[in-house]
Amino acid sequence: MENIIEVKNLTKDYGQNRGIFDITFSVKKGEVFGFVGTNGSGKTTIIRHLMGFLKAQKGQVNVLGLDAWKDSCEIKKSVEYIPGEIAFPDLNNGITFLKNQADLLKLENMNYADYLIQKLQLDPSANLKRMSKGMKQKTAIVAALMADKDVIILDEPTTGLDPLMRETFLEIILEEKKKGKTIIMSSQMFDELETTCDRVALILDGHIIDIASIDDIKNSKKIFYKIEFKNEKDFKDFKKLKYKIIRTQEKYFQYTISISKDKVSKLFNDLKNFKLKFISEVKQNLEKHFKEVLLKVYENENKSNQKSSKKEVKKNDK
Amino acid sequence: MINKALFKQSCKANWVKWLAVTLSTCIMLMIVIIVLGNLGINDIRDSLKDVFVQADQESYLKENSVDGYELYLTSVDGYSVLYAKAVYMPSLQQSFNDAVTEFEEYYGEGSATKEIRDNQIIPQLVSVIISNPMFAGAFVGMDDATVTMFLTTYLTVYSDNQLNGTSKTNDEILQETYAKMVYQNAYQQEIVSGKTEEEAFTSAIFAKSVALDAAKEYTKNSINPEFDYSQVATNCVNLLIQEQAEQSFAGSDLSEDEIKQQGVAAKVISNTAITTYLLWYNQLMEGQEETPEIVLQAKTEAKNQATKSISDQIPEKVAVALQELGNMDIYGLIIGSIFYKIAGLLLPMVFVIMTANGLLAGQVDSGSMAYVLSTPTKRRTVTVTQLAYLAFALFSMFAMLTIFSVIAVAIAGGNSFAINFGEILLLNLGAYVTMFAIAGFCFMCSALFNTTKHSLSIGGGLTIFSLVCTILGLFGSAVVPSAMRISAMNFFNYLSIITLFDTVSILDGTLSFLWKLAILAGIGLIGIIVGVFRFDKKDLPL
Repeated sequence: MENIIEVKNLTKDYGQNRGIFDITFSVKKGEVFGFVGTNGSGKTTIIRHLMGFLKAQKGQVNVLGLDAWKDSCEIKKSVEYIPGEIAFPDLNNGITFLKNQADLLKLENMNYADYLIQKLQLDPSANLKRMSKGMKQKTAIVAALMADKDVIILDEPTTGLDPLMRETFLEIILEEKKKGKTIIMSSQMFDELETTCDRVALILDGHIIDIASIDDIKNSKKIFYKIEFKNEKDFKDFKKLKYKIIRTQEKYFQYTISISKDKVSKLFNDLKNFKLKFISEVKQNLEKHFKEVLLKVYENENKSNQKSSKKEVKKNDK
Repeated sequence: MINKALFKQSCKANWVKWLAVTLSTCIMLMIVIIVLGNLGINDIRDSLKDVFVQADQESYLKENSVDGYELYLTSVDGYSVLYAKAVYMPSLQQSFNDAVTEFEEYYGEGSATKEIRDNQIIPQLVSVIISNPMFAGAFVGMDDATVTMFLTTYLTVYSDNQLNGTSKTNDEILQETYAKMVYQNAYQQEIVSGKTEEEAFTSAIFAKSVALDAAKEYTKNSINPEFDYSQVATNCVNLLIQEQAEQSFAGSDLSEDEIKQQGVAAKVISNTAITTYLLWYNQLMEGQEETPEIVLQAKTEAKNQATKSISDQIPEKVAVALQELGNMDIYGLIIGSIFYKIAGLLLPMVFVIMTANGLLAGQVDSGSMAYVLSTPTKRRTVTVTQLAYLAFALFSMFAMLTIFSVIAVAIAGGNSFAINFGEILLLNLGAYVTMFAIAGFCFMCSALFNTTKHSLSIGGGLTIFSLVCTILGLFGSAVVPSAMRISAMNFFNYLSIITLFDTVSILDGTLSFLWKLAILAGIGLIGIIVGVFRFDKKDLPL
């Protein structure tokens, strides 16, 4: 399959460790690609490069085989965008804004826009300045999606929407996905990325830490169980069986373990000898996956910090 | 290059602002031109100017009176010389009559016309007489030119008397001869001293009247060598001045009574001048020897004192200041320097600052520019479209202002108004070019900065700074009369680009405003070019 978006070694250094560093990823045609990360981690900066609003310091950004900075106008013919910050032009109401936007897009057929308006239950005749955050977001969604182009770039598109509307919006995204569109979206909500995306990138301090495939996570061969024991003896004895323990909560005599699917019957056999309070399966999801990844990152950092501090101590001794 | 949808969007976003600014500026201008025009703000100036014109006239009148008085006395002396020669006149007349008879005998009765007499008989006879030693002896003490002039004039008067059938006595003929000679001398003197023919004619006529009166008076009192002429001289001059004043008002729209009043006023002024002159003269001559130098000095000084007018009596600096105030063009100051350079620019400036910021920096700052740039629209198209809108809005604003100002001038009196149609059109053009420069600069700031904060504080800040400097600089500029001027304040004019809008040059009809406007247009263009190219290349936080 052909790559719609290709980003190689993209770097934009704003100084003081801010910016994005050495970003590399690609998005295939028809794929839905997500970004997740804390505030200020660099999601929006990457998206701005894709849109040609920022010029890369290092590396390459290609969209549809064209340079995102130089050919940004050409690229926009097949790209739709919902900006992260919703601020409308100085116009009266939603209808004027949408019509104006259609003029800019040279769009004559408003059928799809009408469909979106109905689906989102938007009243576009409201005054733009008095709209609530959710209404503004809906208006922005309609304005971006109405042209029905092949590539959709969304920067935190669900902020401000109530839970019901979020569902509706995700439905729309899934519809678009079915049409075969390539979608890139950033979000802070794992669940919505999980329902829509094929792959999700985790960004931390301007670096891509991990790119996870949702399919892989869902169809993982591992199963997670949470087990609580009745007394301390059993709790300690279980440890000797050498199952892979992910999390230990001594207070409650609790373990969370991960085992491959084929060892489930062995586990239950072993557990016959212990007095349990309960056992429950913990479903694996994106959030858990990334938490594991982050834990590893922090552990590595701590180790390296300790090593470096030990070195410093040695230096001091000398 | 221009995107219609974006242009429409900018129109929709800014039309209220545009309308408010345009209408209020137009109304302001109408009020300034029409209402102040009808109130007659130039009245005070005109009356001040009148004071100085009257003062000049008064001074002129007084000078004439004193000169006339002196001329009268000189004429009495001068005529006494001629009067002593009166005994020779009958034989002169006889010689002339003989010459005429001889001519007519040869050419026939009546052939000696006035022309023949004036151009042939009299000159021939005069040259014969002058070369005759017997007659020459009669004119001892007079130079040849004067004698020739006297004889020619006398014979002309005598001959005219014969031809016209007016039976003048010998005394009258002599008196008229003298008056004519004085007239010719005065006329030549005035012409030599650079006066126009008309002025020379007027003062020569006056001199002639004085001389004739003096000659008559002398004839009357010739038996009494001790007669004091000063009183008659004063009376004579007073009357002549009165007559002259009445004549000068003759063709005017004043009534007969008013003309008489003017005449009496002139007579009073004349009398005062002569009296003052005599008093000063006597005062100055007291205890002094009467040498010609001292007398002349005393006369000059006395004349100076006697002919002083109001403007001579107030301190020189105050007089200069008042005179400047009288000559000041209040309309030029209010419409040119205050309205078009300050008051009328303020609101368009606020419009330009806000709009230029809102067209680029404001939209980048808020993020709404993303909706434009996420459509297939080039950044260059955005800048050029927004620029086109700004220029169009400004142009239509000043087109409205031009229409309103032309209407206002038409109502205020058209071309007879202090500021004519050509000048008001140039003022509007100048103001547009000035605003174009400011708009170019503000647009550049809007394109350079990503935040409203920076764009407004640099673009708007410097623009308002310029305006404030122009206000402060006004108090040091030459359009303000020197009494109110603080020349150090002129320094502020060098800090403001509005100074390049030279309203004074426009209203004076000089051309130096043209190159200054060219510089302003250049500033605007540079701002635009820098802004457009920079916006293409910068990072946008959208």
